[in-house]
Amino acid sequence: MEFYCIDDFKTEFEKLISKKSYSSLNQDIIDYFFGKSFQELCSGTRLNNSDETPYIKKRLSGRGGFRVYFLLIMKDENLYLMFVHPKTGSMGSDNINDESKAYLYKKVLNCIKTNDLYKIELNTTNKKLFFIKV
Amino acid sequence: METITHKAEIENTFSRIRTISFEEKKSPLLYEEKVNAFLDVIIELKKILIEKTQIINNINERIEKLTWFNDLDEDCMMLINDLISSAKDLRSSLIRQYVSMNLIRKKAIAKDEIRDFKNAIDELKETYEDLESIFFYLPKIKEFVETTKQLSLI
Repeated sequence: MEFYCIDDFKTEFEKLISKKSYSSLNQDIIDYFFGKSFQELCSGTRLNNSDETPYIKKRLSGRGGFRVYFLLIMKDENLYLMFVHPKTGSMGSDNINDESKAYLYKKVLNCIKTNDLYKIELNTTNKKLFFIKV
Repeated sequence: METITHKAEIENTFSRIRTISFEEKKSPLLYEEKVNAFLDVIIELKKILIEKTQIINNINERIEKLTWFNDLDEDCMMLINDLISSAKDLRSSLIRQYVSMNLIRKKAIAKDEIRDFKNAIDELKETYEDLESIFFYLPKIKEFVETTKQLSLI
């Protein structure tokens, strides 16, 4: 499984982990996404009625934690992180609205087509995500 | 004169302490019983809240799984619509229960259990809103449907 993200995710992720109260996000992402099979990642709330390219919203870090939006493409076994937000705390927010869900969905498609993506890898100690512009 | 006043105050205080000391010696069990009864009520309340939270979380997980169903027919869509209405109704009842615990919350009794209960209720709202969005609203957004089509061609 290859991991990618669009700039919306990267920007939010970096903003959040710079805050002490949200610093667990880095480890939460690693624990949930890395080392999992495509099938294992097919859980959460599926937004788009597609088995081959499910657009998923996943709750991370228990109740009241983070919400991560991502796209899976079965054919290539690629995962695209699209957005993340916390539910609680100073930067906490409610569900994103349908227009935003549609916007992110269209954006990830365009980014895949134009290769406007960041590849996500783990550093040597497997404790930190880093982003490489594709 | 001052010495007399002081003496009277010391005697009053002594008398008060003597009375309380006597009463406490006389009825420590009664007091202990009251404390135990109070603690029992708190334990029972915590138990009820934990059970309710588990039930709500289970409902949330079951609703989430419905989002993986494909090509639902009209009957299923109608059931989904009814399910959303029932879930909204359930949330209203649960929120009323949460509000009725305002005083308990202010006293920080069963703080963690009440917080988890509220999180589960909030998640119920999020889950049925997502369900409604997935089956009734997102499929009406043209660019959303178009994106799904284009992704299937990649």
